[in-house]
Amino acid sequence: MSLQQIILLGSIFIPAFSAIVILLFFLNNERRAKEIAYVAFIFPFAAGIILFLNFDPLNDGYSHEILFERMGLHELGITFHLGLNGVSAPLFAMAGVVGMSAGIAAIHSNADRKSLYLALLSFMQSGLMGIFASVDIFFYYLFHEFALIPTFLMIGIWGGRDRRSIALEITIYLTLGALISLGGLVALNVMVDSAKFDFPSLSNAILSDGLGSSTQNKIFGLLLFGFGILVALFPFHTWAARGYECAPTSVSMLHAGVLKKFGLYGLIQIALPLLPEGGQSWGAYILWLALGNVLFVGAVTIAQNNLKSMIGNGSVMHMGYCFLGLGVCSSLGASGAIMLMCAHGLSVSLMFLLSHYIHLRSGSLEMNEMGGLGGQTPILACFFAAATFATIGLPGFGNFWGEFAIFLSLGAQEGHFVFLVLAALGIIISAIFGLRAMARIFYGTKTDEMIAYQKNKKISDLRSKEILPAAVILLPLLLLGLWPKMVSDGIDTNVSSQLSILNEEGVGDYALPPCCPPQVELKKKAPPLMDSIKPENGGND
Amino acid sequence: MTQVSLSLLLLPLLSALVTLLFLRKHGSIASLLSVASAGGILAFSSYLIFGLNSLEDFTWTATWFQLSDWELQFGFLIDSPAKTLLFVVSFVGLLIHIFSLGYMSEDQSKARYFGGLSIFMFSMLGITMADNLIMIFVFWELVGFSSYLLIAHYFNTEEAKDASKKAFIVNRVGDFGFLLGIILTYWTFDTVNLQELSSMAGVFPEFTSTTLCLLLACGFIGKSAQFPLQVWLPDAMAGPTPVSALIHAATMVAAGIFLLIRIDFLFTPEALQLIGLMGAVMGLYAGFCALTQRDIKKVLAYSTLSQLGYMAAAFGLGLPGIALFHLMTHAFFKALMFLGSGSVIHACHHEQDIFNYGGLRKKMPITAYTFLIGVLAISGVHFLSGYFSKDAILLGAYNLNFVIFIILYAGAILTSIYMFRLYFLTFCGEPRSKASSGAHESNIFMTAPLLLLALLSLVGGFHAIYPTAIVEYMIPDIVQVAEMPNHLWMNVLGAIAWVGGLLIAWRTYGSTSSSTDPLENQLPIIFQLSRSKLFFDEVYNAYVQRIQDPFFRFIEIMELLFISGLMVRGTAGIAALFSLLGKSFYSGKIHSYSFWFIIGTVGFLAYAIFGGGM
Repeated sequence: MSLQQIILLGSIFIPAFSAIVILLFFLNNERRAKEIAYVAFIFPFAAGIILFLNFDPLNDGYSHEILFERMGLHELGITFHLGLNGVSAPLFAMAGVVGMSAGIAAIHSNADRKSLYLALLSFMQSGLMGIFASVDIFFYYLFHEFALIPTFLMIGIWGGRDRRSIALEITIYLTLGALISLGGLVALNVMVDSAKFDFPSLSNAILSDGLGSSTQNKIFGLLLFGFGILVALFPFHTWAARGYECAPTSVSMLHAGVLKKFGLYGLIQIALPLLPEGGQSWGAYILWLALGNVLFVGAVTIAQNNLKSMIGNGSVMHMGYCFLGLGVCSSLGASGAIMLMCAHGLSVSLMFLLSHYIHLRSGSLEMNEMGGLGGQTPILACFFAAATFATIGLPGFGNFWGEFAIFLSLGAQEGHFVFLVLAALGIIISAIFGLRAMARIFYGTKTDEMIAYQKNKKISDLRSKEILPAAVILLPLLLLGLWPKMVSDGIDTNVSSQLSILNEEGVGDYALPPCCPPQVELKKKAPPLMDSIKPENGGND
Repeated sequence: MTQVSLSLLLLPLLSALVTLLFLRKHGSIASLLSVASAGGILAFSSYLIFGLNSLEDFTWTATWFQLSDWELQFGFLIDSPAKTLLFVVSFVGLLIHIFSLGYMSEDQSKARYFGGLSIFMFSMLGITMADNLIMIFVFWELVGFSSYLLIAHYFNTEEAKDASKKAFIVNRVGDFGFLLGIILTYWTFDTVNLQELSSMAGVFPEFTSTTLCLLLACGFIGKSAQFPLQVWLPDAMAGPTPVSALIHAATMVAAGIFLLIRIDFLFTPEALQLIGLMGAVMGLYAGFCALTQRDIKKVLAYSTLSQLGYMAAAFGLGLPGIALFHLMTHAFFKALMFLGSGSVIHACHHEQDIFNYGGLRKKMPITAYTFLIGVLAISGVHFLSGYFSKDAILLGAYNLNFVIFIILYAGAILTSIYMFRLYFLTFCGEPRSKASSGAHESNIFMTAPLLLLALLSLVGGFHAIYPTAIVEYMIPDIVQVAEMPNHLWMNVLGAIAWVGGLLIAWRTYGSTSSSTDPLENQLPIIFQLSRSKLFFDEVYNAYVQRIQDPFFRFIEIMELLFISGLMVRGTAGIAALFSLLGKSFYSGKIHSYSFWFIIGTVGFLAYAIFGGGM
């Protein structure tokens, strides 16, 4: 094994192992647990950066591969196969960065039973790194569950108001989404005659023996709604803002920043390249639903008074852009969506982190009870302004390029122009809620509630242990904005190679038919049902 | 040349970065650094303008990144219009930096202010030199950001809090159209590079469409605060006065005009006509609003709106060179007047109401006389800079489009009325408040830039004094206008306009001693109409408060009711109902189990006996 392979393996197992050590030996020794947690979060961070830097962006396959064939599941085609490609490498590094920031924030937080909290968070981190390092689809899914379960527990134990009911709601919602997408993945495994259940084998198998369009439609539908629920696709989005508002800061950061990208990653790496015809027939619905995210949830975001709830809704809104990039089914759109995923993961987790800092200083998250904080905490205001402007897509931050590429991909076809016009309204919507928050929290004069809270308290600006986690996120966000080539080459090589294989196979010019209103078409095509996908139907119906 | 242009662009960014990271608590060092970088900018841009082969266009392009078939280019196009703006930005920019040393000397957050100025210089130079529309858009957004930052300098005041937000959001509305225009351009022409676009548009004129160029012009409407997005600019005066001079008068708002000049080959005659007419109406409307403003900076802000309207009108008449000419002269005299107002405000301890000034000419003579030169220049007094550029627009309109001429001429009369009103109220008569009676002349940091700008406002209209590289683009249009008939008429009409305005202003405001506007008693209807600014702000506020916000809250409630409530809770409710039903079977009471057991047995037997037989 080369050093890089060991690092890749370590980035998944060291957090999990640290969590086990904490649970077994140091549950009552907070100091030691913190020390171990540092290792659990710093190692994946370093691993993400090292492997990302050692990654050749012009390689269209996987690098740093590790393969254990005999896991006892090889008869099902399941092997333990890790590796990074141009799409997963930046996301992997992003997971490491956000993980470290969330981890340090958790280590310095004032949670009860902190050892348990840190152990669960390390488990989650291990799952997150595993998601983007997996080449095998089974493990890709398994790592997601591995990260999801600690999320529920942490919301249920350390969450805010209504934590039990919200934890339950989120559990049911996400388990349902995961179940539906599992159905799609199982169907894919059964329908495709492939020796292995990993990304490259599947695409090779489909290349030699394509799936029929009706099968593609059904599986794509399952994947779309399953993954869609996990990414908070409209109208399955209401869990997200409520969950993030309630969850402890580090969990919101990791979930909104990284875990939520699981579904999009699956759609872009599995559904879009393997099921191109399915993508084409679902494309119009995706675009309409994504507009629901951008406009409907955008409007809801503006109406929010609670800062965390605003950030949560805003993140749901920006996921709409990613779905738009997906829905146009072009390599430009998909690449833009991936760039936006990387940048958004950073910006939204930074926003959640800063909202926590603001809460500590203002005693409230209700924005009408704040004001004038900028004079006391200029550094915090500076970070918040940077995060806000990144979120609303100011050039210089990574988000802009993703959004721009998606908008550009929407303009490619005249039939999509209406989507482009409506989606671009999002840049005004984001500016409204972002700048309103900035003004209400930091500008103007202090409200009576703030004065009452701050009485007899010493309000300090960010300390260096608070600056570190924020700076760790802000720096790559800026780098992405100034030097997008850092990720774009790898993404481009991969996405275009995936799509070009399919184009050679005669799938067509990868273009959508003109879009129809969804209400009309929904009647014609019943939503795909699980039981209609049976192996007896054969691969070519 | 490549290194020079790159260093030119990156120098202010570096200065801002160093300030942000290391000099946050060292305001004086930060201010010196920022001024030094502004000096460096002037040096580099002079090299670009006057350097070797200065008459040639300089282009340089590199690929920034690539996705699919789309390549993002990062490049410079330094041709004659770019050189003009480069000269204006770096020269006026340096003077305003120096002025700020004096004006902001007692400010608590100098580092933030000067860092913001550096970011602004970076973004503005980016717009000036960019060679493609996407790069222009990138820096377009960045100037909006730096403008936001600087308007919010006094962030503790409610005024700055609202104005900064408003400026950015209103600009975003314009950028929305601009963005769509860029994307449409890309998919129509398959390029966004300005030079390639220009040759494509020449070869395939059928590709250009009114929709396309009007979408692109949305960017201009937002940034140059033209109808209907003009509302942000007067509010933006909440920022420090040098910022108003640099960003909201001389350079950033003029970037809108510069954008139009950059893409003038895309415009169809219909679009030109619309822009010309809208510009002319803005020239008149803003002049009308300026008549009754009491805040010295707001008078100047409306005057800026009006002058931007003149530039747009010139562009719409098909005279982009004249528009650029007026952009340049306007930058000098408007920066001069804003800085002059800054000097007054500084001397009067941040009193901004002109009815509380008076008699300042004796107390601060340099400010007063340089300000007077600015007033004379903007009013079009013969042979000052404004005369050449503004009367060229009027003469062009007179010969090309008489409707536009009538509107612009009415605007010109208003211009001289409100400018002389401002001058008389501020500098003549007796002091009307304690603040103005205690005023004294500002220091050398503030007066030296005033003197230099006054000099340029005096002679800046003679294009012969500039190096050819700067005025090359304007010459053909200037020659075209110079050859037009009716020069004499225009001279007489121009004289009537400024002399008339001067006399009206003197009669009305020459001897004001109270703090009420004399116009309020003389012409109450016109006074009220002008004060109301024709209700744009009221309409927009009503829209936001009465329609937009309630609508969004309504959407939020709909989400709660239908999606969270009906769909999610409903599904959960149905599941719960089933579980309730199921639970009732497991009551834990032995007799109920035996009851169900008997029912089940009987049912089973019944099925076995009767059902099986059927």
